[in-house]
Amino acid sequence: MRFKFVHAADLHLDTPFRGVPADSGLTGTFQQATFRAFSRIVDVCLREHVAFLVLAGDLFDAKDRSVRARLALRRELERLHLAGIQSFIVHGNHDPLSGDTGALGLPDSVKVFGADWEEVEVRREGRVLCRVQGLSYPEAEMRENLSARFRRTAPDFTVGLLHANLGGVEGHANYAPCTVEDLSAGGLDYWALGHVHTRAEYLLAGGAVAVYPGNPQGRHVNEPGERGCVLVEVEEGRTRRRFVPVDRVRWHRLEVGLTGLGSLDGLLAAVTEQVDASCPDELEGHAVRLTLTGRGPLHRELSRPEALGQLETELREQLAQRHPPVLLESLRDASRPELDLETVRLSGGFSGTLLAEAEALVAEPEALTALWAEDAELRALGQRLRRLGVDALENPRPELVEQAGWQVVEQLHEEDAA
Amino acid sequence: MSGALRIDVLKVHGFGHFSGYELELGPGLNLLYGPNEAGKSTLLAFIRGMLFGFEKRGRSESRYEPEAGPHGGELWMRSGAGPLVVRRVADRKGKAAVTVLSPEGHELLASRLDEALAHVSRELFCEVFAFSLDELSSFEQLVEEDGVSRALFAAGLRGARRLPEVEKHLEKRAGELFKVSGKNPELNQVLRQLEEVRGKLDGLKDRPEEYFNERERLASLGRQQEEAVALQEQISRELGRLSRLEAALGDLGELARLRAELALLPELSAFPPGGEARLEELLLRRTEARAQQARVEELLSTAGAELARLSAASAVREREEALRLALGAFTARAEPWRALPGRRAALESRRREVEQALGGLGLEVDAAGLLALELGAAARGTLESLADRLAKAEAERREAEVALGRARVERERIEASLARLQAERTKLPDVSAAELRQRQAALSRSRLLKVEREQVAVQRAELQQRLQALRAQAEPEPGAAPAPWLVLIGAGVAVVWVGVLALQGGAKEGAMALLGALLLIVPLVLGYMRSVRSHRENVEAHAARQRQRAQELTRLQSSLDTLSGRLLGLERELAAALSEAGVTAETSTAGLAGAEAALAEALRQAERVEHLGREREAREAERDGVVREAQAAELAGRRADARGRTLRAELAGLLEARGFPVELSPQRALALWRDVAEQRQRLADLGADERALATDEAACDAAVSRLLEEARAAGLPTGPVEAVAARVASALEELKARDAEARTLRARADEWAGDRARFTRLREAEEQALAALLARGGCTTEETFRQRARQAEHFEALTRRVRELTWRIEAATGLEEPAVREAILAAGGEEQLKEKLGQLRMQEPACARQLKLLHTEYGSTRSQLERWETDEALAALRIQEERLRARAAELAARYARDRLALALLSRARRRFEEEQQPRVIQLASEHFAALTAGRYRRVFLPAGGKRELRVSDARRDWCAEQLSRGTREQLYLAFRLAVIQDFGETRGALPLIVDDILVNFDLERTRGALKLLSRLSEHHQVIAFTCHPWMRECFEAEGARVVELGPSGARPDPLRTLSPLSSALPGKPVLPV
Repeated sequence: MRFKFVHAADLHLDTPFRGVPADSGLTGTFQQATFRAFSRIVDVCLREHVAFLVLAGDLFDAKDRSVRARLALRRELERLHLAGIQSFIVHGNHDPLSGDTGALGLPDSVKVFGADWEEVEVRREGRVLCRVQGLSYPEAEMRENLSARFRRTAPDFTVGLLHANLGGVEGHANYAPCTVEDLSAGGLDYWALGHVHTRAEYLLAGGAVAVYPGNPQGRHVNEPGERGCVLVEVEEGRTRRRFVPVDRVRWHRLEVGLTGLGSLDGLLAAVTEQVDASCPDELEGHAVRLTLTGRGPLHRELSRPEALGQLETELREQLAQRHPPVLLESLRDASRPELDLETVRLSGGFSGTLLAEAEALVAEPEALTALWAEDAELRALGQRLRRLGVDALENPRPELVEQAGWQVVEQLHEEDAA
Repeated sequence: MSGALRIDVLKVHGFGHFSGYELELGPGLNLLYGPNEAGKSTLLAFIRGMLFGFEKRGRSESRYEPEAGPHGGELWMRSGAGPLVVRRVADRKGKAAVTVLSPEGHELLASRLDEALAHVSRELFCEVFAFSLDELSSFEQLVEEDGVSRALFAAGLRGARRLPEVEKHLEKRAGELFKVSGKNPELNQVLRQLEEVRGKLDGLKDRPEEYFNERERLASLGRQQEEAVALQEQISRELGRLSRLEAALGDLGELARLRAELALLPELSAFPPGGEARLEELLLRRTEARAQQARVEELLSTAGAELARLSAASAVREREEALRLALGAFTARAEPWRALPGRRAALESRRREVEQALGGLGLEVDAAGLLALELGAAARGTLESLADRLAKAEAERREAEVALGRARVERERIEASLARLQAERTKLPDVSAAELRQRQAALSRSRLLKVEREQVAVQRAELQQRLQALRAQAEPEPGAAPAPWLVLIGAGVAVVWVGVLALQGGAKEGAMALLGALLLIVPLVLGYMRSVRSHRENVEAHAARQRQRAQELTRLQSSLDTLSGRLLGLERELAAALSEAGVTAETSTAGLAGAEAALAEALRQAERVEHLGREREAREAERDGVVREAQAAELAGRRADARGRTLRAELAGLLEARGFPVELSPQRALALWRDVAEQRQRLADLGADERALATDEAACDAAVSRLLEEARAAGLPTGPVEAVAARVASALEELKARDAEARTLRARADEWAGDRARFTRLREAEEQALAALLARGGCTTEETFRQRARQAEHFEALTRRVRELTWRIEAATGLEEPAVREAILAAGGEEQLKEKLGQLRMQEPACARQLKLLHTEYGSTRSQLERWETDEALAALRIQEERLRARAAELAARYARDRLALALLSRARRRFEEEQQPRVIQLASEHFAALTAGRYRRVFLPAGGKRELRVSDARRDWCAEQLSRGTREQLYLAFRLAVIQDFGETRGALPLIVDDILVNFDLERTRGALKLLSRLSEHHQVIAFTCHPWMRECFEAEGARVVELGPSGARPDPLRTLSPLSSALPGKPVLPV
């Protein structure tokens, strides 16, 4: 029998947008974006007359303690309930069962999987249309390979709903770790995964497929590009998957090369051009991180922190005037000095020694780690940051060493007048 | 010092007070000697500027910008890679771009200069290779401030002069970002804010859990609220019910009392209400009805008597209709009747006028005849048409007559003209003009021929003359050829002479004689030959001239012959022309002129004759035309006559038929016609008027007689018609007035009769009503009725009160009276009811208070939940937390970068020290020992701890600060020389330029220093400046090349320099050898 379902994950309803200033005029638009994205997922379900919706964990963030998130979830699922569309939910590391999920008061058509593996039949006209298996995280920390608990029980089309890190994707906590082989071994037809925020598909043995739909709304600069859900059409046990973007504001990482730019006006024009090219009109807003790259005379002018700050303020005001508005998350300077570092390196002397030292540190992670650990102040700062949930100094960052080398050499070569 | 960089020539275009200045330097040790302000420091700055660029603008004191002219110059150098010229000239903005040239003037890459300088930095060069005494001490300052290690790098390392500043800057910046136990650094602030935000967030606890708990509580409150509301409603219901019963208690007692009183009275509920008043009213109304009835009866009897009076009979009433008709007929005709005599008189006078007018017309018809005449519109049209046609015919006839007259006059004029032409023609001869023209032409031709003949004759005579002249010119023949005899004689004489001498003298004389003879004969022979040649030329010229003359003669002869022929031809032609002109050949030229004049006259006459002929023909043609016109006019006139006659006959017939005079002209006939028609019309009108008058008279008479007759019949007195009519009219008016009065009276009598009937009915009704009222009151008399009525009134008041109380009880309790009584009984009687009521009254406010409390709590919980549902504060805190986290991460990265930069610097310095320092320090020790003549043996860096430059003699160590100024400067010099030497060995030898750095040295150490410099100059060019004469001597002692600089103020004289290059062309480098 032919049917459709929608697979979404990591709604993170009402989660704050990282890098959006609270006093910005765009805060409201951004803060509503996760709700609107979810609302649009429900719209897709209604429009496509799907049989059910699966939500693979992290519907909201327990640490956000947002009442609105819970209410929005209930409101939207009620819309599906009224349309006779079932919903299947598992909870992930951000919204584990140990939280307040029991008090949600969700409609009857919503099935929330518990901490134990369970399988539910989806029926249409008295016949089994499909089977959905799933289990939720009882606690935030889940290091066990949960996929091992899934197994095919009948020849019907079977969907596995799981919040897991497949293949140890970096940038995401390694919860419920599993491999493609583990999933293949389960023998399911469709793995509806959540946890990794970047859309991905893994083809498994026997024509099965494991899908990360990504989160439906990017919330910070490391979640750029279009975001949405996956509409799955099942016919004769085979799936056809179509990505449907639902995000209302979009993040971009833009790079502007300083090479060949002689003035700040030129830089502004180049930025405008980049933004024009990258930010489509049909969305409600964009957030942009601009990184200055390349090598040019402006590098030196911008290397003063206040200069970069002023330019950032100016750009932020300019971009906010656009339609749709563009929020400048930050302006980063990754440009390199005009100074020919190669010549400096070749001409030896102290600067050459310094650059060689920097390269050696970058090349030897152990030495860098040792240096990182040696610096008591850095260590103290790292610990304090960790306590506050900031992982900026968790690991030694080679690129910082590289930048520090350039910075020092450039300063050493500055003229007295500078 | 091959491979070392060396400056050969300085060319200063403009720098400081130098302008157009050149200075040559040698390899090895050079001393530039000059007094103060001679420009030593300027030259040092010039060399630095030429190699590394001029100082930036804004530092005018160190820019050495000349007051006028170009700012810049050239350095001529040679290095391992060959010679090169460095040129810098500042532009308007003060920028002095470098130009590197080959000695031949080809431009080279700027990098050649960097290569030649072994990529040394400006800072290093200025610190170590080209310095003044002050800069030697600035090294000291570095040592003092930042320790020797940094100073070492500042001196010895490329691009590291700013190392101490950079380290300080980085430390400062890192310190501004974060301090472990700081408060103000930015990152510390951000971390503190982050902690505060997290504290606030923790303070908010688990909001969703609280929310769901509160929601539960809200639901329970809702239930409690419902229960409390129900209870309150119940209490208030009961309270209301009992209160109402309580309120009815008083009314119930009163009701019982009234009921008892009612029971004492008879049943009077059916007694008519307000009975006594109604009785009085009915009695009054009956009395009134009776009075009305009596008044109407009286009125009716009066009206009957009056009607009888008005309806009495009379003669006028009997004939009223006939009288009215007769009076009407008379009144209608009265006005015409009065006008009848006037109208008749007027008609009579009009008839007389018409008859007179008719008589004036002169027609033989009377009035009747006139009326019988046929004068209709058709007849008049015929007459008018005839008149028109007649007028037209008459006009045509007159026109024809005029045309005929005109034609006749024209003809007479033409005839006269013809006669005049004929007369003129007869006077003129009868000659042909063509013939005369021919003769005239022949005459003019013959005159021309005559002239030509005379010209030809003249030409011929000339030719003949020329011929004769030519023939007369005879030229004598040239003479005969010269004879050779003189020559022959000479030869003969010679032969003889020779022979004689030969014979006499012998051969020798003979030969001599022969020779002399030859000398004689040869000129003779030569002269003869020349004369023979001249003669031959003369003969040839003569022959040529003769040939030419014969040719000319022949030509003239032939021309003469031609002219003779032509003359004969002209003669013949002339004769022919003369004969043609009718003139004899002998006629002279004057005769010819006369003949010509005569011919011209004859020709004029002949042309006139021709003209006259043409004129006559034209006149004759005209005359024919006129004759034809006259004939046509005559014909038209005749036709018009005939038509006129016909028309006049027709007119006469028409007029005769109407009795008009036949001979009348059409216009007159028409005028008469109009007059007659007019009179006839008037006559007809008159007849009609007479007939109308007769009719009117008859009608008026009939009306008058009828009126009189009717008046008589009605018994009215007779008299004139008009008086009778007035009387009749007044009698009729009177009758009419009486009728109207009787009608009015009758109507009112009817009305009164109606009133009488109505009043009768009213009286009867009142009597019946009175009887009925008495019957309803159950009485037979009015008096008894009155008594019962008073009783009934009391009964009514009691009943009303009872009813009122019953309603009040019902309204207060909502129950009927018996139910109220039952309810009171059910409540246990009045006492218990009041008690119960007291209890309830106390319960009610307590219940209301509780409900209010519940309401308040419910509302606050509800609003709390709503607040949480739309709570922005938590979201804002979370946003703030995330933002602070991001900011902290960014600042931490910056801080880490700065810390890493410091660590890198430290590591690099350590590594550099390890790799580079020993060699430099070793060299410095050697140099310092040499400078101090072995007083100090070693320069070293103590390991670990505070790193500083120390020196030691045999016994103890010293740090730099402990040394005297001179010794300290020697230490720094030794250190610099070590760096220079090390640099030279590892990267490239650069020149050393020092500005009076030895002034604080004693003589011995000066010499030691000079020895060191001298040794250094083996591999490096050394350029020293001094103003001290003893220093100069020391340098000279070391073999230095001394160049004297001019005194200050005066422009340095190029001639005083040692350079032989002052004549070299600028811009074309020529390197000294």
